[in-house]
Amino acid sequence: MSNDWKNEVSKCSKCGKCHTVCPVFLETHDESAVARGRISLAEALKDKQIGYTEKLRDYVYSCKKCMRCRKVCPSDVDYEKIISALLRGVAENMGIPLLPKIIFRYILPRRILFDTLLKVSSKIQRFIPMKKRGQMRHLPLLFMGKRWIPTLAGKTALQKFRKTRKVENPRMRVGLFTGCLINYIYVDIAEAVVDVLNKMGIEVVIPQRQLCCGTPSSTMGDVKSSKRLAEENRKVFESLELDAIVSACATCTKSIKNDYMHILGPSWKNMSDKIYDISEFIDKFIGDMPGVKPIGEKVTYHDPCHLLWVRDISEEPRNILKKSSRFVDMDMADACCGGGGIFTIIHYDLTLKMLERKVDSIQRSGADTVATNCPGCVMQIADGLAGRNSNIKTTHSIQILQEALKNGETKK
Amino acid sequence: MKQQMDKNSIDTRILEELCDAVGRENVFDDIEERVCYSFDATKERSLPDLVIKPHSTEHVSNIVSIANKNSIPICPRGAGTGLSGGSVPIRGGIVLDLKNMDRIIELNARDLTVTVEPGVVTKDLQNEAAKHKLFYPPDPGSARFSTIGGNVAECSGGATGMKYGVTRDYVLALEIVLPDGSIINTGRKTLKSVAGYDLTRFFVGSEGTLGIYTKITLKLLPMPEKLGTIVSYFDDFHDALNTSDSIQIKNRILPRSLEFMDAACLASLKEGLKAAIPEGAKSLLLIDVDGNEKNVTNTIAKIEDICRENNALKCEVAKTAEEREVLWEMIRSVPSSLFKIATMKFNDDFCVPRSKVKDILEKVYGLSRAASVKVAAFGHIGEGHINLNVMYDDGSDKEHSAHTFVSEVLKEVVSIGGTITSEHGVGDAKAEYVKLELTAQEIELMQKLKKLFDPKGIMNPGKIFV
Repeated sequence: MSNDWKNEVSKCSKCGKCHTVCPVFLETHDESAVARGRISLAEALKDKQIGYTEKLRDYVYSCKKCMRCRKVCPSDVDYEKIISALLRGVAENMGIPLLPKIIFRYILPRRILFDTLLKVSSKIQRFIPMKKRGQMRHLPLLFMGKRWIPTLAGKTALQKFRKTRKVENPRMRVGLFTGCLINYIYVDIAEAVVDVLNKMGIEVVIPQRQLCCGTPSSTMGDVKSSKRLAEENRKVFESLELDAIVSACATCTKSIKNDYMHILGPSWKNMSDKIYDISEFIDKFIGDMPGVKPIGEKVTYHDPCHLLWVRDISEEPRNILKKSSRFVDMDMADACCGGGGIFTIIHYDLTLKMLERKVDSIQRSGADTVATNCPGCVMQIADGLAGRNSNIKTTHSIQILQEALKNGETKK
Repeated sequence: MKQQMDKNSIDTRILEELCDAVGRENVFDDIEERVCYSFDATKERSLPDLVIKPHSTEHVSNIVSIANKNSIPICPRGAGTGLSGGSVPIRGGIVLDLKNMDRIIELNARDLTVTVEPGVVTKDLQNEAAKHKLFYPPDPGSARFSTIGGNVAECSGGATGMKYGVTRDYVLALEIVLPDGSIINTGRKTLKSVAGYDLTRFFVGSEGTLGIYTKITLKLLPMPEKLGTIVSYFDDFHDALNTSDSIQIKNRILPRSLEFMDAACLASLKEGLKAAIPEGAKSLLLIDVDGNEKNVTNTIAKIEDICRENNALKCEVAKTAEEREVLWEMIRSVPSSLFKIATMKFNDDFCVPRSKVKDILEKVYGLSRAASVKVAAFGHIGEGHINLNVMYDDGSDKEHSAHTFVSEVLKEVVSIGGTITSEHGVGDAKAEYVKLELTAQEIELMQKLKKLFDPKGIMNPGKIFV
């Protein structure tokens, strides 16, 4: 990455409009917690007025990287370039904490090692008491205690779909980028993608050697690891002749479609153009879906930050839900659920505040189920609902479509 | 940058006293926090020695007493979105961040008043009033992120000014912490009061140089039934100005807003923010009308006719709230989008008698051509208010010529009966121009008044007066 972040810093007019959308600022009111404040810190770094300190690291890590600010900025500042440069600077000057470093550099790039470690965890989890509706209180790897976290799947999505399910004369052949959460925890979501697309005459290939998208490492400024993961994923997906690549994770889609353009450069453009969020893909290539019979449940939708604010996708998943269920919109559907990697760990109190608000909105909507398009949000929201002993289910919108298709078959 | 040192100059003993008074968790002396509170929307930077975040009137009073005793400058700050350097701590000292005092204390729907703390975001107040079908009219472009405290300190105006006036017209009463730490109350929660001098008005627009508002009581109005919006584009700014004249003078229509944008502003708009601007458009008028349903529909139709009579290239009536929002977002984003023209700007928000708008704009464009200065003008033209932006690149020799140019323009503004600032305040950015408008005797009188309230000169020093 070059020094173009410095140009972005000087573009900021300091108007303060980012105050209106930043989920962290809206909770804390601290200038250091919003783009404008961090840009002033970047400016001070550029002018050597400050150096890399623990305080600076805290302020840099307090960014959720939801990119709302970038979307509303009237001066068109590419905040992502600035925050990435700050994260990289922190990593280069202060180092990356040891545990994440081991994970990013030695575990994430090695699928078999990652599998083995998680397999051991999934065995151990049986001995942890206090299960609650398929969620449990535990502390696997990166996560904090006191939280209701879903159990690890016995068989990962990659293992489950080692062989591509054959489709007679497929109209398209697409690859699924699973991402870590879907691969290890929400295997059902991968299954729903395969089920739905297969029924639409599309063959889904799940490349076995795909790796983590690299978001966790870039969030810690570990450029080296992110680059390595991006290069490996490029090899895997470029070697297959696919009509498109889909993902059911908003963050992975952002990473492989948008961030890889910076990491891998313009040569990724052809591949990037072929990458879609699953709802976007369905909207573009399938449109009307014969055989869908709406399920009776009331379903509402939560907008994942990385889908709405980075990709401007909000109608597509709603259209799916409107066709497959009794859809009800909730107020503040675009408010952040508070989830999101390192932020959740460092600022657990703020995460909880955002989550409480989100759960309030969901409960007000009167829905039986909340659907979203990101497994990270699914995990976060399910955690919030479990904490309130709510009966509202959390799921991915593709799973609602999967059910509606099943519903159509049985009621024929 | 006026201060480069990263070491603050507040004595440890005083720091401890401040921590005891407001809680250690609300006092910040680290360089990172100080950097985050060193600027406003003028892009000017100056480091404070401390940032303190009070939560109550008592906190404010304690901080101010300690600062006064030790002659430490205090710079009150709302959201830091001002356009004249008002919240930039140019003499160091304490930045008092009032964002945490953000309670709406009481909205009285029968008295049509609301009492708030200074850190309430203006839009939040407007939304709260709207829940009761009430209306807080002042609507600065920054309403969604600036605070009421800041609005009162700068006497902000905004788009609704021509029909509804500015912040000062809505402030009924204030609770103020004076520089010695004492607390006074000015005004009453009534529409009328002439008991004694009008201290409330004196404090509104005082730019943090006299005291700190800790409670603000504002007047509310019944919410108008309907709002209509029309945009029109012209290929010559004279046509836009003739339209404005015709609406107000010939046809005796009082719109809620009448906004103007020139060619340079239109060209700078971010791609995603441009509404359907027609080819060849060199100026824009955005007009809001409010009232009852029938009146609004008729008035908008009438205004559309007037625009067409004055050679409008295109007129478009907003049919939905979303369409209206797209049009207004264009206006609101101009101050920031202008940085596409150059990295630095000097902004002046002068106001002239309505009949002189054409003369002054012709003068501005003439002078800018002669001096090769890049300018962009927009503003609440219905009131004779123009935001003149002089654009130049950082570090270039243009900064000097920009200031010389502005000085020329402002001399002309004052000579035709105008004012050097309508609603952004003087701050330090325009302090050098105050003498163009006020006589030495008037300035001296004001400074004596300031001294009466703030004998040690701790309140926002370096602002308004050079």
